[in-house]
Amino acid sequence: MKQKPRVAVFDFADCEGCELQIANLEEEIIDLLEIVDVVSFREVMKEHSDQYDIALVEGSIMRPIDEKRLQGIRKNAKILVALGACATIGGVNKIRNQWMPDEVMKQVYGDAKVKGNELFNVGKAKALNEVVPVDYYIHGCPIDRDEFKQVITALALGKKPEIPRYPVCVECKKNENICQFELGNFCLGPITRAGCKAICPTHNMPCDGCRGLIKKAETECVKEVLERYHLTYEDIRRRCTMYNYGREECTYDK
Amino acid sequence: MNTLRAITKKELHCFVDALIADGTYDVVGVKAKGKRFVYGPLDHAEDLRLDHDVTILPPKKYFLPPLESMMQYDLKKPFEVQATFDNKQRIIIGMHPYDIIALQQTDVVYLDEQQDDFYKKRRDNTIIIGSDIDAVSERSFAGSMNTHVADTGFDVLISNIGTQYLLTIGSEKGKQLVETYAKTKEATAADLKKLQQKRNTLLEKYKQKVNITTKDWPGVLVANYQHAIWEEHADTCLECSSCTMVCPTCFCYDVRDQVSLNLKDGQRVRTWDGCLLRDFTRVGSGEVFREEVKERYRHRFYRKGNYLPARYGFVACVGCGRCGIACLPDIADPCNLINELASFGREEDTERFFIKQKTTVEETGIIHVPRSATVTRVEHFNDLDTFFEIQLDDGKPLGHKPGQFVEISLFGIGEAPFGVSSPPSDTPRFEIMVRTVGNVTSKLAQLKSGDKVGVRGPLGNGFDTTSFEGKNLIFTSGGTGMVPMRSLINFVLDPKHRKKFKNITILYGAKQPKEITFMKDVDHWKTVCDTQCEVTVDRCDEKECWNGCIGLVTTLFPKIRMDMYDSKNTIAIVIGPPIMYKFVIQCLKTMGIPDENIYVSLERRMKCGVGKCGHCQINGIYTCKEGPVFNYNQIKQLPEAFE
Ligand SMILES: Cc1cc2nc3c(=O)[nH]c(=O)nc-3n(C[C@H](O)[C@H](O)[C@H](O)COP(=O)(O)OP(=O)(O)OC[C@H]3O[C@@H](n4cnc5c(N)ncnc54)[C@H](O)[C@@H]3O)c2cc1C
Ligand code: SF4
Ligand code: SF4
Ligand code: FES
Repeated sequence: MKQKPRVAVFDFADCEGCELQIANLEEEIIDLLEIVDVVSFREVMKEHSDQYDIALVEGSIMRPIDEKRLQGIRKNAKILVALGACATIGGVNKIRNQWMPDEVMKQVYGDAKVKGNELFNVGKAKALNEVVPVDYYIHGCPIDRDEFKQVITALALGKKPEIPRYPVCVECKKNENICQFELGNFCLGPITRAGCKAICPTHNMPCDGCRGLIKKAETECVKEVLERYHLTYEDIRRRCTMYNYGREECTYDK
Repeated sequence: MNTLRAITKKELHCFVDALIADGTYDVVGVKAKGKRFVYGPLDHAEDLRLDHDVTILPPKKYFLPPLESMMQYDLKKPFEVQATFDNKQRIIIGMHPYDIIALQQTDVVYLDEQQDDFYKKRRDNTIIIGSDIDAVSERSFAGSMNTHVADTGFDVLISNIGTQYLLTIGSEKGKQLVETYAKTKEATAADLKKLQQKRNTLLEKYKQKVNITTKDWPGVLVANYQHAIWEEHADTCLECSSCTMVCPTCFCYDVRDQVSLNLKDGQRVRTWDGCLLRDFTRVGSGEVFREEVKERYRHRFYRKGNYLPARYGFVACVGCGRCGIACLPDIADPCNLINELASFGREEDTERFFIKQKTTVEETGIIHVPRSATVTRVEHFNDLDTFFEIQLDDGKPLGHKPGQFVEISLFGIGEAPFGVSSPPSDTPRFEIMVRTVGNVTSKLAQLKSGDKVGVRGPLGNGFDTTSFEGKNLIFTSGGTGMVPMRSLINFVLDPKHRKKFKNITILYGAKQPKEITFMKDVDHWKTVCDTQCEVTVDRCDEKECWNGCIGLVTTLFPKIRMDMYDSKNTIAIVIGPPIMYKFVIQCLKTMGIPDENIYVSLERRMKCGVGKCGHCQINGIYTCKEGPVFNYNQIKQLPEAFE
């Protein structure tokens, strides 16, 4: 049999929730280990190796030392996969990009002496692809386990994973939900990439856009819907801050 | 004739409860979900809401589920693939007439000569207990579509006539069911009158009305194909396809292979797709055939109001109003759109979007499950193109005509269409050539002799070679267009057939010398007397050795020995990438070859290959059924075909 692909999992600035989704595969983790060799995964194992084919990278990039480390990972990996919203789009970490890094440091650390310490040398929060090329994306906050499995099996079979390029509404409709707009709520589903099985609207929460926007908030069609539901551009900008701050551009991967 | 029985409210409840208690059937019916309604499993008769206005999703979810497993396989023994049939016996209670009519329309498409076995099974296993409409949905316009009442298509129909209910028996199955489980009385003439009254007053409840009859839909659509309205509306379209998801008459689907995490077993699934989504027409090369939102937005209305009416005689909209509710910018409602269009004008000639040519498709039994086959020869022509000889394991010949195609499956990866490149044969062997572009093609390129693949087909129409007899033939192909062309050329050059045709010219253009495929055939054709064969390349890298022509395939036309050709008695066949057609056809016209003597073969995204999934549509035409071979004269006017 062909050698199993070696997989390493890395994290940067994040809550490790996506790694937890993998760890939580439970019995299926055994299946996973059948098809790949996990050579590094700090959250669940002590061993570490720099010999890997696939790097699953979680978290946003905040500091020059993170960038360096990520570049190192990129060099080692044949395939680099961004895991979860922090890595794919910057996610909640980008909320702080609203302010200058100095202001943020001051807010958090007050007058503590951290200047000159590279661990505290923080810049703007970045998604992985703002630092290195990324091959594939597993979107979401947290990631969807089924989608994770789908991407891993595709990579193990040597095929390109198929990630939806259409909005959450498609899956929401298949789930036969009452539309959040009909319930008087403001949902980002129409402009957010599907693949989550519309989990939020299905549990009666409007979509917050954690899988990234596939349409600009400024497009004519979004304006039309905002108007129809008595919302303003300011409202949608605020809604997008949660996961998509500064990323209101269209990321429709043609 | 339908028989009518009367039943009290209490007895109706007992009837439903008896059906649930019996356990033979999975009993589903209309239930409340917040302020809306949905079909769902019934635990008690009380949950059944016959007073519903409309459900969020139509009952199509029980016949073509949003995600449906079509077949399962063991990746080690993929040739033992098994279709996965849903054998559940089901009763659906509460279907409104418009949904019953929508289901009858789906029957016409899914139960045609290429019958969809999964759908058929579900259809056979389902008993439909319909319900007359009590509450009219605010957006429904069924009244003006004549879909607010149904005379057929149900096994039983429940009608609330105030004091009690009437059961119209629509089938033998329905009769049995009522006799076994319900306590009913003979309906009286007075009951019947009440029912008539109810239906008459129902019409008045509709606030939404289409101002023209369904007969006139094609005319207003065709007259306004280029109207600015499409763009105006499409500017506000979210490309969410909610309109098609909730529609009872939209049934296009995508097909995917899913593999379990242990890479041991897999399944092929189909899932609802929508023509408003950009990827719906996207092919491996990255080309999207309906790139503009306007084109996709328009396509949906033309399919409903023009393409299916011309093909089957019904407008594929039943006026349920679901899309009007679902579309956030409120541009999806056919009632509003048709009324707006009707104010602009109409046309009598509505044939422009079709071709009259109707292909008879042979009944081939199970249409979705591939036959097992073995790769018997692999040849790598260059780093992109791989040639395969494939043998069907059942030992039967493929039975194809030149120009037909097959769907080749790699279990766990997917399925893709390929032209057959060998001439018709009575052995179980045939040949294809695969250019690597995406998942299926890349994996195919790695196969070795002895590996297994799945085969469906032959599919599509192919060339009618008898109509070419006694004629001069000019074959022009570019790129992978040579694949099906080779089948045709080798058929006519076969000594058994050669005498039936007159002069033959073969023109072939490739991007660069290494992309010239079937070099051995080309060399052979060049030596065959009374056949002219010319090859050109667009460009030649310095490293490559090439002493032939350089230039587009059109540069070869001056070489044709025109003196030998009576253009009226010449047939030209053109197969190549989309951009090639315009230029080559211009050359042929200059030569004086009439449009009706020109044949082309077109490529579109394909999934099912049997006229169900909707991906290959060029306006009203299914490329997989009426094509891929077309007479140029018949489709030159067809918008979208060559643009
Ligand atoms: C009638 C017909 C005959 C063809 N003959 C040949 C041939 O002889 N040789 C050859 O190399 N190619 C041929 N093609 C094109 C070939 O089908 C595509 O290149 C192939 O489907 C790409 O599949 P993929 O999985 O590698 O690409 P992906 O981009 O991964 O495509 C995914 C799926 O989309 C569909 N799809 C993508 N591209 C196309 C396409 N161009 N046409 C139809 N469906 C598509 C398929 O279902 C495919 O599996 C033909 C296409 C048609 C319609
Ligand atoms: S709830 Fe959100 S995702 Fe669902 S249909 Fe409405 S807008 Fe789309
Ligand atoms: S017409 Fe409406 S429902 Fe349909 S895709 Fe456009 S916005 Fe979505
Ligand atoms: S309708 Fe499915 S490929 Fe033609």
